[in-house]
Amino acid sequence: MSQEKFAEEYEVVVVGAGHAGCEAAAAAARMGASTCLITIHLETIAQMSCNPAIGGLAKGHLVREIDALGGLMGLLADETGIHFRLLNRSRGGAVQGPRAQCDKAAYRLTMKKWLEEIQNLRLLQSVVTRLIFEGDRIVGVACQDGTRIKAGAVILTPGTFLNGLIHIGLTSYPAGRANEPPAMELAQSLRECGFKILRLKTGTPMRLDRNSIDWEKFRPQPGDDQPVPFSFRTSRPLKNLIVCYVGYTNEKTHQVIRNNLDKSPLYSGKIKGIGPRYCPSIEDKVVKFPHHPRHQFFLEPEGLNTSEVYVNGLSSSLPYEVQKEILRSIPGLDQARILRPAYGIEYDAVSPAELKPTLETRKFKNLFLAGQINGTSGYEEAAAQGLVAGVNAVLKLRGQEPFILGRHEAYIGVLVDDLISFGVDEPYRLFTSRAEYRLNLRIDNADLRLLPYGFKLGLVSEQEYQRFQEKQGRIKKVIDFLSRERVKDEKGEPIPAVNYLKKPGINWDKLVEKVEIPVELSPEEVRFIESEVKYEGYLRKQEKEISRIIRLDNLLIPQDINYREIPGLTREQVEKLEKNRPENLGRAKKISGITPAAVYNIYLYLEVIRKKGLRDNVPRGTCEPDE
Amino acid sequence: MNQTLEDTIIAISTPAGHGGIGIVRLSGPEALPIARKIFCVKEPEQNIPARTMCFGYLLDDESRETLDAGYLCYFPGPYSYTREEVVEIHLHGSPVLLNEAVRLGIRAGARPAHPGEFTLRAYLNGRIDVIQAEAINDLIRASSLDQARISFKQMEGSLSRKIASAREKIVDLLTLVETSLEFPDEDTEITPEQIRTVLLDLIGDLGRLASSYEQGRALLEGLTVAILGRTNVGKSTLFNALLEEERAIVTPYPGTTRDFIRENIQVDGVLMKLVDMAGFGQASHPVEEEGILRGQKLAEKADGLLVVLDASREESPEDFLLLNKFRNKKKLLVFNKSDLKPAINRQKVLDTCPGVSWVEVSALTGKNLGQLKKMMLETFAPQLEKQEEIILHQRQKVLVDSIKNSLENGLKLLDEGAGEELVAEAIREALPAIGQLTGEIRNQEVLDQIFNRFCIGK
Repeated sequence: MSQEKFAEEYEVVVVGAGHAGCEAAAAAARMGASTCLITIHLETIAQMSCNPAIGGLAKGHLVREIDALGGLMGLLADETGIHFRLLNRSRGGAVQGPRAQCDKAAYRLTMKKWLEEIQNLRLLQSVVTRLIFEGDRIVGVACQDGTRIKAGAVILTPGTFLNGLIHIGLTSYPAGRANEPPAMELAQSLRECGFKILRLKTGTPMRLDRNSIDWEKFRPQPGDDQPVPFSFRTSRPLKNLIVCYVGYTNEKTHQVIRNNLDKSPLYSGKIKGIGPRYCPSIEDKVVKFPHHPRHQFFLEPEGLNTSEVYVNGLSSSLPYEVQKEILRSIPGLDQARILRPAYGIEYDAVSPAELKPTLETRKFKNLFLAGQINGTSGYEEAAAQGLVAGVNAVLKLRGQEPFILGRHEAYIGVLVDDLISFGVDEPYRLFTSRAEYRLNLRIDNADLRLLPYGFKLGLVSEQEYQRFQEKQGRIKKVIDFLSRERVKDEKGEPIPAVNYLKKPGINWDKLVEKVEIPVELSPEEVRFIESEVKYEGYLRKQEKEISRIIRLDNLLIPQDINYREIPGLTREQVEKLEKNRPENLGRAKKISGITPAAVYNIYLYLEVIRKKGLRDNVPRGTCEPDE
Repeated sequence: MNQTLEDTIIAISTPAGHGGIGIVRLSGPEALPIARKIFCVKEPEQNIPARTMCFGYLLDDESRETLDAGYLCYFPGPYSYTREEVVEIHLHGSPVLLNEAVRLGIRAGARPAHPGEFTLRAYLNGRIDVIQAEAINDLIRASSLDQARISFKQMEGSLSRKIASAREKIVDLLTLVETSLEFPDEDTEITPEQIRTVLLDLIGDLGRLASSYEQGRALLEGLTVAILGRTNVGKSTLFNALLEEERAIVTPYPGTTRDFIRENIQVDGVLMKLVDMAGFGQASHPVEEEGILRGQKLAEKADGLLVVLDASREESPEDFLLLNKFRNKKKLLVFNKSDLKPAINRQKVLDTCPGVSWVEVSALTGKNLGQLKKMMLETFAPQLEKQEEIILHQRQKVLVDSIKNSLENGLKLLDEGAGEELVAEAIREALPAIGQLTGEIRNQEVLDQIFNRFCIGK
């Protein structure tokens, strides 16, 4: 029994105020829980540690989902965005993803302001050094200054600060972010808890002085003419306030890198952590693709009131002098001044296989983990997990049903399910191809999929919910209208307007040339109708499949089932099943090493029991375990 | 695991090969609705009466083509073999036709039954106990199929390799498509033409695989070998001699065999279905005439012909007529009655069909019958080493076809200019079928090996 004396008490304590921590704290507080958000430094709340952008493919989808659930990220990115693009704009609705570059300082300050305005939420600058448990339940945290804070639930979102180690060339020093202290004691505390700890690596490119770049040498990449907002709540028109530029490395650059690989901590074996393959450093690109004559990079201004420019694509952990040499080899950057050098960083993460789908740890009750600590990378992935953890911490404290999204209903569901089912071998990033039901997980229907949940959880206001319902009403009216109305196709044959819109190559603009729509629609509503019509056949088919999977997944497994009796299971599988005792077939499927065939064997066995009560009379001739 | 016991399953229930009738059986909740989609009952009653034969037609519901006439019999659960809703469709016993019926059923929503699944269901539903299940299994397996399986096992290995390579290509293809979707900002321009090339390549591979099914079927279900010849050349004697038993009635009188008789023989592990039929020539009786007619039809479909000639008599115009009629079939010339004094001008006969092998036998004394069997094998059995990848089971054919369909659909979408995400969707659709085909799901199937060993549909 712990004899700790607590200075304060909250229902929820969130440790770390990055993108995960902010969403977690905001969600918990807005659901009515007294919440404390502890950060090492109040000035760097919601700091964009790496690139100044939110969104992209799959990530933009996540932001829309966070928004539909009443989270902050989308609204904030719209509010502070200075360059907006809809990726894959010319492609189908399912693979369109919004991306925005934000003013980094504004993003951070606005988040802080918004958090300060939330009732029940208290911000605290401190460094958490230890977790306090009573048995297998977390009850609070201890800070560096000796303060102890009691908590019903604790959400850890330490990002790269957890045992962070920065590398520049062969020099390394402990840090959470450049020149910010790491969380060492907390990392130690987690190791002592017995979690499986992973060592991961990421990196960030140099920031250059805007005034030292010869901009003429680069191709401009302006934002979209009609910026698409992230948030369903953003009503003001968005404006592009900056232009980005595209440039390329050259053979000379690559020679510089090759000549200096001995000074790379990555190639000298100094860095042991595993980096993300989808976000390689420039030295990685040059080594792995020796035949590429050039590599693309983007020059992205970090804000309106700063001269810092982010060099997207030149992430590196080579020494400062080599970074300078790299820049000198590129026309237009040959005079560029480095304001912040690029660096690599290694940090600790906990294997997410240790988590429940609520992001609560299996080992310790009421301890939740979210963000990079779970082996993910990306602001959006972090924010989504923060929201899931925040909501579930409160639901747990209230004794309510957990909030778990399925793979078929949200990218958030795909993300969490991937993490807890398979763990990670490298920093995890979401891709649209990870979703089985990609055509249904679209930015244009994120509200339809999730807003009702947000409303039920108390994160979406009555007024927003009503607006959502009105929108659905308008959409239904138009779809009904399009099913009734006939237009002439290319051959002059009259066909229903929906069928016309369904044709490849026909979009909304072409449709409205032929038929007048009686209802005024927003671009988002048009996007939704277009997707629903184009994908209709696929969506119906997937719906059927989903309902069948749900039915199977929900098949209960009796807790006293004797797995040894089930034919065809290997000894290892039996042991895993006995250890985990999954409550239903869906959960059994998620246990590592439990193959689809094993699940099918369990299923058949359950059918035997269900239909015949044949527990003691399992067919002969079954295969022996391990054979 | 995307298959359950709640699916409606379909399979051919009668043994492989030609027969008087063949039965396609469905079991599961949708058995009747699916059956009615593919089988049109002549008296269109609102309700199909239980356990009653209803006359009607097998119908391709897309082309509206009538394929065969037969009977539908509905066994409402639980008064059925599996205790589920069961429908039997009784058709004529042609494997091609029965396979087609199964294909139509699959298109209408059934899925092919796993080996032994009907019995598995009967067991699970309490209809039979384990002992019975095993007994049924033993019964079914007491045929040459077992041997055929073993001898073709190696070929299945080469099939798996072929499929595994198709899977790799599909994964490659998906990589191309997904990369173009996921990284619009990167320098990875992937053109529809690139995707198209890979798709076409794959579709070609799968098409070749699917077409080898006919050959595989012949090996597994046996080769049909028809014995032809004018009357009284000793066809039935030869038939009995090859069979090594007195099966056909033999008399000195022409036209003794009026209908055709079939029996199976094994030649070096290959199943052959020997068909003895009425002699070609002047029919002396309407029954014989009908027999001749049917015999001709059968001979046209057979995998090989034994054209029997009476070496002790002079060649006749009927012999030449026969040889001419089946000019394009694989055949052997059998000069029978070599124990008697030869009278036939053998060279003249051989000149009319160059390249055809011949043998002199005496069905009566058994002379050269071993030689004949050897030649039958060489001439009629498919050349194994040339055609490496052979599909042996209809289940595999269905899967290959379904993969091919998905990919063709992807190609169509690509050519129409539909979005890459839809092309990707079409390709992704093929992955579960590939999984089943390579055996990843199928191999580690089900409850118990006892049921696995079952032949399909019993």
